[in-house]
Parts: sequence; structure tokens; C-alpha cells
Amino acid sequence: MKSGVKKLIVSKEGILFCIFLFVFFLMSLLSPGRFLSWYNLQSMAYQLPEFGILALSMMIVIVTGGINLSLTYTATLSMIVGGMVMANISAAGGNGILAVLAGIVIMIGMASLCGVFNGFVVAYIGVTPMLATLGAMTLFEGISLNITKGGAISGFPFEFLMIGSGTVLGIPIPMILFILIIVGTWLFLERSKMGMSIYMIGCNPKVALYSGVRVKRIIFQTYLIASVLAAIAGVLMASRYNSAKESYGSSYLLQAVAASVLGGTNISGGEGKIAGTVIAVMILQVISSGLNIFGLNRYLTNVVMGGILIVVLTINFLTEKRSK
Amino acid sequence: MNIKSLKIKELPILLILLLLSLIITIANPTFLTVENFLDILKSNLVLAMMALGMLMVLLTGGIDVSVASIIAAVTVITGQSLIHFSSNIFVTILVACLSGTLMGLVNGLLIAKLKIPPIVATLGTMSVILGLVLYLTNGAWITGIPDSFIEFGRITLFSFELVDGRTIGFPVQVLFLIPVIFLTWFILKKTVIGRGIYAIGGNLESAERMGFKADRILIFVYSFEGFLIGLAAVVHTSIMRQVDPNAFLGFEMQVIAAVVLGGASVLGGFGSVLGTVIGVSLFCVINNGLILMHIPVFWQKIVVGLIIIGSISIDMIQKQRVEKNKIRVDVE
Amino acid sequence: MGRTLVEIEKISKIFPGVKALQNVGFNINTGEIHALIGENGAGKSTLIKILSGVYQPEAGGKITMNGKVLEELTPLESLRNGIVVIYQDFSLFPNLSVMENIALGHSVEKNDTLVSWKAMEAIAADALDQLGLILDFHVPLGELSVAKQQLVAIARALANNAKLLILDEPTSSLSKGEVKKLFEIMLSLKKRGIALLFISHKLDELFAVSDRFTVLRDGQYIGTYSEDELDDDQLISLMVGRKIEYTIYPKNKKEEPLLEIQNFSKKGNFQDINFTLHKGEILGLTGLVGAGRTEVAQAIFGLNPVDEGTMLLDGAPLVINTPDEAVKAGIAYVPENRLQEGLVLRKSIEDNISLSVLDSISANNGLVDLTLKRSLTEKWMDQLGIRPNNPQMLASKLSGGNQQRVVISKWLATEPRVLIVDEPTNGIDIGAKSEIHQLLRELAASGLGILVISSELPEILAIADRVAVMRHGRIITQMFCEGLNQEDIMSKAL
Repeated sequence: MKSGVKKLIVSKEGILFCIFLFVFFLMSLLSPGRFLSWYNLQSMAYQLPEFGILALSMMIVIVTGGINLSLTYTATLSMIVGGMVMANISAAGGNGILAVLAGIVIMIGMASLCGVFNGFVVAYIGVTPMLATLGAMTLFEGISLNITKGGAISGFPFEFLMIGSGTVLGIPIPMILFILIIVGTWLFLERSKMGMSIYMIGCNPKVALYSGVRVKRIIFQTYLIASVLAAIAGVLMASRYNSAKESYGSSYLLQAVAASVLGGTNISGGEGKIAGTVIAVMILQVISSGLNIFGLNRYLTNVVMGGILIVVLTINFLTEKRSK
Repeated sequence: MNIKSLKIKELPILLILLLLSLIITIANPTFLTVENFLDILKSNLVLAMMALGMLMVLLTGGIDVSVASIIAAVTVITGQSLIHFSSNIFVTILVACLSGTLMGLVNGLLIAKLKIPPIVATLGTMSVILGLVLYLTNGAWITGIPDSFIEFGRITLFSFELVDGRTIGFPVQVLFLIPVIFLTWFILKKTVIGRGIYAIGGNLESAERMGFKADRILIFVYSFEGFLIGLAAVVHTSIMRQVDPNAFLGFEMQVIAAVVLGGASVLGGFGSVLGTVIGVSLFCVINNGLILMHIPVFWQKIVVGLIIIGSISIDMIQKQRVEKNKIRVDVE
Repeated sequence: MGRTLVEIEKISKIFPGVKALQNVGFNINTGEIHALIGENGAGKSTLIKILSGVYQPEAGGKITMNGKVLEELTPLESLRNGIVVIYQDFSLFPNLSVMENIALGHSVEKNDTLVSWKAMEAIAADALDQLGLILDFHVPLGELSVAKQQLVAIARALANNAKLLILDEPTSSLSKGEVKKLFEIMLSLKKRGIALLFISHKLDELFAVSDRFTVLRDGQYIGTYSEDELDDDQLISLMVGRKIEYTIYPKNKKEEPLLEIQNFSKKGNFQDINFTLHKGEILGLTGLVGAGRTEVAQAIFGLNPVDEGTMLLDGAPLVINTPDEAVKAGIAYVPENRLQEGLVLRKSIEDNISLSVLDSISANNGLVDLTLKRSLTEKWMDQLGIRPNNPQMLASKLSGGNQQRVVISKWLATEPRVLIVDEPTNGIDIGAKSEIHQLLRELAASGLGILVISSELPEILAIADRVAVMRHGRIITQMFCEGLNQEDIMSKAL
């Protein structure tokens, strides 16, 4: 038991969690009144989920050996299309809950289409993921802009706003969703047969194919699932902003990659733990909220984020070099 | 140069370019006027210069998503330097190129020395640089560029009078692009380091075994790219006559797209200056054509996205077909 | 015979736990083809790496070339001194032209700033001339056949003024005609005074061109012999220290057909393949490399679907287009290249063994039963004696023999009817080889039909009941192995 605890602490995720605690206490110490305030904790709880879900979506694609540059535009395209339907039903005097349900179903359906597109091009045609999703990113952005003409879709029913701002037993709904998704993606990636195939494909797709794994289909399905996750993040964002626009969340693209890599996911695939990504997301969120409280300009927060990414990778490189 | 090697590879994309030009001309004859041509040229000089830098990066098997943030930073520096330091064109070029090169150098060091994957390293520097730019400028435009510099930017070459009495000519900024095209071509084609860029993109291990110093080549490539961005920043500032720190949001994707359209492989080793020039032209003609055909500007992105995915898909499908039909045993 | 070009004296190399080379010393002369032979793990590749400057030898060793001691050799220094290795992958650039592949090294070496395309053309033309080759200079190398790429690699060596040319298994992916062409070129290089160090496993090839043989065994220098001092058997006994004597298993005639292959054809791969694998039988499939053996195996496994032909399993027709269909039908395939096709090296023994049976160890909800995964792994590790006995051990850290056992376990876990093994003992030490043989025999005894592809005839003769010999994409003959000797098979394969 004791050795088990020790093992947990020296594992990558253990170290990350210690860093999280350190950052959290540092922020609390530096600004006890405000960082630990109910308001701040709650606002973190509202922001964390959308970023976290996008990071998990990015991560499962990275584990296959790919990358999804169209991630945030998948989220915004689906929120725009679904949002439009929702706003129209609402404007026509339809039932609010019905409108919300229809909107969400369409958002997820639209994201699935995006996922099918990416998955087909990557898995079945064999285009390098970076290029395929780069093209898709431009494409989805273009379609979104064509629909919104550069503006934002709004006029959502009141019920929709509840998703992003409501609570159940005092816990914000986005947080509940996030926890469910963490458990879901953990089961999917680390415990299911498909997840185990994904790790093996990420390491060596040829061996997986030669072992009777349906490599193309699994890669295809992974992009599909990742897109559905993006749509869920999209729902949260649209609800929080009370509108839908193609540029929402575009800064999350970098951060999602950063969180995956910080969390120990190998950028060339095959390795990575859900826990690592989730803790990395929490670290980044605490840092950005903390810096925000200190009145640091939000642009400088980006600087710090990029800096952390580079510093962590540099440390990775140096420790690897030493261990060799 | 031998005719046969005169780029059969670039032929398909050249044909697409010509075909597209024809279609656009039929839809709107304005396309085929000198005036429109000069317009296209002027508004895409920056893209072309940055594409050439990106070409080199892709050839090594890397990628650079920080280019848009670098040019945003350099335009801000250039603007400030013009206003507060010197309006001399040569000093301005020096300042711009130096700052661009330095930022490229940082990317190069991270990638070559610390072995950080290019996509991750440049995502990091992009975040840092863009954050600093927006923090320092607060997103505000920089105006009040000295008149002498603005006058310089208005110079036209080989001017002539149109029927309606207006005078047009080549923008002076072309004087930047032409040497850049030549220089990039020269480096890639005629210098050992240029061939080294192809070599490390084709087979890194063998290139090192042959004596190429991969880390030096990578550092050179990213620095040179920064240098070109510096020049592009001067061109941009002289055309726009003010600096908008937000002008380049998402521009990196356009640069990469143009280079990929020109036939460069993101896996490294394949791509040429000629291909990139054609790729950039194609990109510009699509944009211009959409405007001339009164298609909403938003369609531009859709078309570009589809062209990127479509052209690479066709390429992949062909490759798979060749692989499938490959003779593996000479059956008797 | 020429004068001494390279003197190798007291070269040792110690890796943690292994003495890869111990006091190896011999000379290589100008104008000779010098064969370097030994089993896998004898130290050949370590020696090549020392000569080419990749590894540094232990103190006390000395390499002298033309009377000059080469100290602290780096890969670049080695190249500059005219030591050129043609690796199995040729180390060429698929994206560059033939000309550049040959001549670019020159500019790098001279530390030039600019490249002179004219000079490159002259160098390339000269090198190709010397080899008597006619190739289009401007074609990207990637568009050439493997054999031509290899010749380009040799041309590059000439352009680099190679004095000692090291050929590491140069014939492994060449056709017979191409091998002949290569040998002609090797002989002409020899006439020009170039020293060639030739590494090959194929004795007939070694004897066809080599002047002298240096034998290594377990990192030790055994001796250098001239070509007329030795015959095959002597050479083999020097290599292994004893004659290769695999246990010869009794041959059985089995009657009950399991897998019937009828008229399998695929353009550019194989033609009119017919054979029947019986229950409890080991059928050997042999022939030279490039005869189409692997292509047939991959066709059965769904990796290389046929143009025409039918397959019957237990008398029922079976159509297989993808590996997962093959696995479901009860066909398993242990590929030749264990490290790239057989194992996920970065993952554990457990992950590797369970990869092919994820379906059967998962519940209906898609979740893997980890207890079942572990017990299944332990069962197979135990049955096949995989060491170390740690399911969490990474596959990359295992010895060759244990790696192969993991791959076989992966397939046995699927409870296959038909097991296809492609070069089952490639790169495995001799002790582990016989254990793999025993395992295959036991599996056959349990009722499996096993198709063993092997280039090693003693192996076929030791374990197979019958043998099918392929040549140029066709099965030339099928024989019962009882009383057969190597010559009987070789004469058909050649």
C-alpha cells in the first residue's frame, strides 16, 4: 500500500498533481481574499469545463497519432447551425425546452458530420491529419461565416442559458457535464477495447493492422467521437456567451494542444492519460484565473501560457537527456 | 536546365491556375486587365514572401504556425521605429529584418537544440509573441507613420497612363518580392545548405551521416523565414500606411495553405520555389475571382479548404493505386 | 592480391553486460572481396559500426589504413578516409535526383557554400560510367527499383572515393538477375583495387565472389581463411562452433485437409498457387527471397487480396479481404519483420498479447476485463516460457527469442486453426531457435495447420512435414520432407 502511494506520487500524473497543488496554494497565498473567493472558484468552475472538454477531444485524436486543427471550428460551426434552428423555433414562439433539445441534437449532428468528414479524409483517404484538419478548419470557418455573415447568432431561449449557468445541488451544470465526460473518456480510452486499440495504433498502426485491428475504422470513429465532444464544448460556450459566432474559443486550439502535451500525451501518438490532461487543464485554468485576479493583462496570460509550454518541454528534454 | 526536369510536377497545378483564370475571365473580363493584375500583385506580396519562408520550413519536415504573430510583432516594431527612431527606409528594413530574424532564431533554437516538435514549439512562441504584441499595443492601431515612408510606399515603377487618364504602374514593393524569390530559389537550388534542406527533409539520418549539420540547417531555415517576415512587414507597413496588430489573425493558415497548394509536402523533402509561386498565385486568383464573380467573400475560405483537401486527397489516392499495383515479384 | 589496406588490431567493444567484440584483428587488402561472416550477434554489425565511426572501440584497439592510424574515428572522418558502408536501407534520399544522391556528398565534404550542378553531373556520370550503368540523372531516386537504388548507393560510394566498401547484406531484396549484376559490379570494383567487405548470410553467394573469409563468433575472432581452404560445411562449423544440427522431427503424412488454396493469382505477385495444408501438419514454404512467399502468405491473411483464386477452410469457401476477417476465420500470421510488423515495442508484453483478442476479453459494453487480460497474458507467458516473467515489461526490452514468443502468444490467444509464420527464427540465437521449433511442432501436434516460410533450409528440413518450393511467383514443386536434403530443395529454388 505504501509503495502504491509512492508510485502514484512519482508517476507523471502524481507530479502534475503536485504542481497543481503548488500553483493553487501559491495563488491562494498571494491573494487569499480573492483567489479563494466563492465568486472566483465558481467562475473557474464555469470556464474549466469547456476548455477541459476541448482538451480531452484534442487528446484522444493526438493519441491516435493525429491532430485536429479544426477542433474549435467544429465546435463553433455546430453551435451556429444548431443555434440558428434553436433561435428560429424560439422566435416562432415554440416551446423553449423543445427548442433547446432540437438545437442540441442538431449541434451534435452537425459536429458528427464534421467528424465524419475529418475521419474519412484522414482514415480512408490517408491524408496527413495536420493537413486534412487544416483544410477542414478553413472549410468549417468558411461555412460558419457564410451562415452568420460575420455576425453572431443570438436569440436563444432562456432554457438554453441554464445549461451554462445553472446549478444542480450547488454544482454548476457545466462542471457536472465535465466530470461525466472525464469518466466517459477515461472509460473509453483507458478501459475499452477501442481505447486500447487506439494506443496501439498511435504507436504503430502497421502492427495493429497486422494483428487484425480495424485501424481505419477506429481512426474514423475517434475523429467522430472527438467532434461530438467538441460540440458539447460548443453548447457550453454558446450558452455562456448567449450567442454563437465562428471565432468563439479559437484560442482554445493552442491551449488544448498545450494541455495534452503538458499532461504527458506524446505529440506523435500512442501515449497519454486522461488524468494527466485533466490536471494540466486545471493547472492552466488556475494560472490564468490567478493572473487575471492579480490584474495581469489578459494578453500577458497568453504569454505566460506559451512560456509554460516551452519551459515544460525544455525541462522534459533536459531530464530525458540526463536519464540517457 | 534540362527541359524534362522543367517541373512536370508543377504542370498540373499550373494548368489548374490557367483553367481557373479562364473561367474567371469568362465570368468577368475585368479579371484579365493590367489593373486587376497589379491589384492582385500588390495585395499578395506579403503572402508570397511569407510563403517562400514557409516553403523552406515545410521542406525540412517542419511547420511554423507562429508566422502570423511574428509579422504582427515586426509590423508593430517597424511602426514604432519609423515614428520614434528613424524614417530612413534602410534603417527601417534593418530593424524589421533584425527583429524578424531574431524571432525566427528562437523558433529554430527550440526546434533544433531542444528537439521540441515544430508544431508545439511554434504554437508556444505564437502564444508568447502574440500575447506580448497585444499587451503592448492593447490592440490599438499605430498611425502617424512619417510622410517620407508613406511617399516611398506610393512609388510606382514602369508607370503608364490608362485610357481613362489614371496612371498606374508596378508598386515599388515588388522590388522586395523579386529579390526574395530569387534569393530563396538561389539558396534552395544553388547552395549546399539549400540542398541540405531537401536532404534532411528526405532522410534526416542519412543527411547527418553525409555530413550535414541538421541543427544548423534548421536554425538557418527558421531564422531565414524570420528574415523574410521582416521584409514582408516593411512591405505591409508601406502599403497599409498604418499598423493594425490584429491584421494577421489566422494568417498562418493562409500561408501554409498557399504553400501546400503549390505542391509542397508537410512531411518534408518535396516542394519548389516555382511551385510555391504558382501556389500563391492560385490562392490569389481564387480570392480575386470570387470577388470579381460577386461571390461573398466568405466563400473564399470554403473554396480554399476544399482545394487543399481535394488536391491532397487526389494525390494520396493516386499514390495508393501505384502502391497497390506495384510489381513485387517478377512472375515467370 | 593487393597490398594491405586496412589493419584491424585488438578491437574490443563492451556494452553494459555484453562483450560485443573481443580482441578482433585482421587485415583487409586492396582489390579483394573479403567476406565477414558469423551468426546474428557474432559482432559483425558492431565491427562495421566501429569501422564507420559510429562506435568508438575500447582503448587498446587500433585501426590503420594505408599505414595511417585512424584515431577517434567519427562517421564523417571514416567517410573522408574512404570507408563507405552500403547499409541495407542504402541511406539515400528518395526526394533528390539520382545525380544528387551520388554527388551531393562531395560538396558537403569540401565544405562548399555553393553547389555546382555541372560538377555534380560530371561526378555522377563518372561514377555511373565506372559501374557501366545507364540511368536518367534527373529522376528522383524514389522512383527507381530497389536494385537500382542500391547501385546508386554504390555509385555514390565510388564518387566518394571509396577505398573500403562495406556491403551489409546487399542481396537481401534483389532478384537473381539483379544479384548477378551486383556481383559483376563487385568484381569490377575489385579489379580497380577497391577493397570490399561483404556481409551475407547466403553461403552460395559468399563463395561465388569472396577471396577470403573472416569468421566471427560470439564477438571473438575465429580466423581468416582463403576461399580454397574452405567448403560450406567447414565454414558453417566455424561460424557456429559446431555443425548446425537442429533436432529433426519425425515426418507425418496427414490426410485431413484444413486450408486449401486453389489457383491463387495476383498480378506482379504470384501466379497459379495451389496447395493444401492439412490438420496437424507443418508445411514449409521456401524459395529465394523475392520468390513471392510473403506475398502469398499476406494474400491468405487479407493483407494482399488476390485477383483470382479460391480458398477453402474445412472444405467451405472463404473470402478474406482484410486481416480482421482472417483472424475471425481462425487464420493467424506471424510476420517476418518482428520489430516493425509484429510488436508494438513501446507497449508491454500484456498489451501486445491481448491486442488480437480485445474482442473476446471485453464485456458487451466494450470495456476490457483487466483480470481476464492479465490471466490470459500470464497463461501464455507461462506456456511459452517468456522471460522475464513480467507482463508489464516493455516489448522493446526483450530478447529476440522472447519477442518472437510474444508474437506467437498473441496469435495462439486467438485460438487459430491455421498459423502462418514468416521466417520464425530470424535474428534469434541458436538455443531459442530450437525452442521455437519445438513449440511449432507441439502446436502442430495439437491439431493446428502451420505454414512455415523460411529461407533456412535446415530449418524447413528439421520441422516441416512437407515443403513447397517457390520460384518467380510460382510453386515449382511440393515434396514430402522425409529423406530430403538441402540440395534437393535448393536445386528447385534456384
